[in-house]
Amino acid sequence: MAVNRIRQALPQYAAISPFFILFAIFGAFPVLFSIWISFHSWDGIGPMQWVGLEQYHYLVTDPKFWQTIGNTMIIWVLSTVPMLLLALVIANALHNATRFRTFYRIAYFVPNVTSVVAVTLVFGSIFSNNFGLLNAFLQSIGLGKVEWLTQPWGIKIAIATIVTWRWVGYNAIIFLAGLQAISADVYEAAKVDGASSRQTFWRITVPMLRPVILFTAVTSTIGGLQIFTESRVLFGDTSNIGGPGDAGMTIVSYLYQSAFIKNQFGYGAAIGWALFVLIVLFSIINWRLIGGNDDERVTSRARRRAERRIKQQKETADVR
Amino acid sequence: MPLSRRTFLAAGTGAAVAGLTGCGSRSSLGSASELTMWTWVGSVNDDLIGQAEKGIPGYDGLKLSMTRIGSNYKTKVLTALAGKSLVPDIVAINDDVATYFPNADQFHDLSELGAKERENDFLAWKWKLGVTPQGKMMAYPMDTGPTALFYRSDLFEKAGVDIDPAAVAQQAPDWDSYIALGKKIQQAIPGAAITDNVNSVFAYRMAQQPQRYMTADGRYLGDQDHVREAFDLAIRVVREGLSANAQDGSTDADAVVTNGRLVAFNAAVWWAQLGPKNAAPKTKGNWRVAAAPGGAGNRGGSFLAITKYCKNPEAAFAFISWLESAQNQAEAFLDPVLFPSTPASYTDPRLTAPDEFFGGQRIVDVFAESAKKYPGAYFSPYDSIIGDQLSAQLVIVETGGKSPDQAWNDAQEQIERELTRAGAI
Repeated sequence: MAVNRIRQALPQYAAISPFFILFAIFGAFPVLFSIWISFHSWDGIGPMQWVGLEQYHYLVTDPKFWQTIGNTMIIWVLSTVPMLLLALVIANALHNATRFRTFYRIAYFVPNVTSVVAVTLVFGSIFSNNFGLLNAFLQSIGLGKVEWLTQPWGIKIAIATIVTWRWVGYNAIIFLAGLQAISADVYEAAKVDGASSRQTFWRITVPMLRPVILFTAVTSTIGGLQIFTESRVLFGDTSNIGGPGDAGMTIVSYLYQSAFIKNQFGYGAAIGWALFVLIVLFSIINWRLIGGNDDERVTSRARRRAERRIKQQKETADVR
Repeated sequence: MPLSRRTFLAAGTGAAVAGLTGCGSRSSLGSASELTMWTWVGSVNDDLIGQAEKGIPGYDGLKLSMTRIGSNYKTKVLTALAGKSLVPDIVAINDDVATYFPNADQFHDLSELGAKERENDFLAWKWKLGVTPQGKMMAYPMDTGPTALFYRSDLFEKAGVDIDPAAVAQQAPDWDSYIALGKKIQQAIPGAAITDNVNSVFAYRMAQQPQRYMTADGRYLGDQDHVREAFDLAIRVVREGLSANAQDGSTDADAVVTNGRLVAFNAAVWWAQLGPKNAAPKTKGNWRVAAAPGGAGNRGGSFLAITKYCKNPEAAFAFISWLESAQNQAEAFLDPVLFPSTPASYTDPRLTAPDEFFGGQRIVDVFAESAKKYPGAYFSPYDSIIGDQLSAQLVIVETGGKSPDQAWNDAQEQIERELTRAGAI
């Protein structure tokens, strides 16, 4: 009976099996194997040597690892904040544009489909210390030149600029979609009430866009924690992929350097899992921030406010 | 039999399974009638490779199949070795040959294939670099990287310095006098630099030393005086304002050659191509080469090794010893400018021809002298771990103004951590 049922179900299982087989080989196995590797010291060729939690112990006491977390966070803030603000402004302009709308939309989206490597190479020559376009400009207007690619802040600003340039259009398109979903009635009502365009923007557009803004914030967080290509291409693929003083070394660059340049696969795997923990942590924070739908959050806030007021009244009553 | 859906699916699954498992059945890359070889771009002479691709000399019916790898060469070789499958028969190895020593069992012992007979053809110190401390001949010499002082004769002239190579060598026999010379030129040419960045001074000073970071029996030397001296010298050049602060791999590295800031540079022979010839072709005729301040040195130079998966080790050895004969190394000097490790090549007309880029100077004489005088040094498998930390700190000193003592201590602390983890100390 049971055997018969299994046999009956077999073709269906066989039909869906390719995905699971491929996932097991190329998805699940590497993930599980990387846990296994992270408990070993392994140069990739020789025998794997069991070291227990030694890699993780080294990781938490490794100043460079903490530096890479700091770098990643700074680059993330430097890129995300201006990027989202700029995207919002661009989306608003696109929304109100009357002519060449499709052209502008495509023009702003093009950076996103351009190869990161090509973009970085171009920006590399813009920021170049001795030969850069930016320094030439700064000097021509009488300001001194800045050693963008050797100073810790210069490096971070350069990387953040590349990220911003590449993703601002993408986010603008998403904001635009959100803007177009806002009913024209609301704007009309505002107009009737005599709201200025600035008031309309801050009082209507931004609040109504909140879910979209949060979406872009979350995707930027995920992207920001994985910044890698920019610093790698800016500083070549030698042992100094983080640039001078490792000021441009991100978590993923450090992972890459440990595993594939220094051939310490165990340590690379450990960094990978630390990054995993970090992403989980950020996901929890995001989830706490946006958890639940809008109405629930509003009602729970209203409830808390009501509770507080009741409590206050009670206290004043007690005092009396 | 008509093709039913079921047989079609079965055949498809069968083919997929065969495809997935098929790779595991062979360990050497390429068909039985070819020897496969991996190198990075610009590491061999293309004409010679072209000849071997028609047939390996002395082995009829056997051909070379060559793959030139553009980037991440070492990662790809290590991946092939780690996969134990489809490994090329012959691989090129760079000057970090010692990092392969812990895995020397992956390669054939070349002395068992007849390498001993060729030993006298090569520079003794170069030969030793390919031999493990246990005495296994793991890698066969290719080119070398003797060092000398490159300088711009036009700019030297402008600064009133005698531009004759012998005179320059006499004026700057050591680093102190070289720095003094740099200061003198700087007065005539503001911004003139004698190094692209702090690490070049450190690396080229270390390249002149008979000792590096470890002894052959595994004792750590990276905190000794000879390293500290090179470390301090590099910082001194920066503090004297003689470094162009163009960090390795940055877009500035070429720029300082092109725009003439770099008036002199103590560098290895291969820099002639990578530096001025590629980056600043307009400076043709303005460069000269003199004996380096601080003595003979060597930086860089590569090797060939035969993996244990090789189909025909005898043929592979016959091929590499043919490719690296004094005759053929002279050919490789013309293109792609690899400096031979066989002293017999140094008098070959192909090397001794005047080089117009260097104003018709016979630059080989300078580099051959350096190659012969270089004392040789032991490279340990951990040299890159140690060197990387010192270099990283030097960069911070140059770009961030960190105190030298602090940088030195931080580097030593980090080196100790890394060496302990690697099980080296």
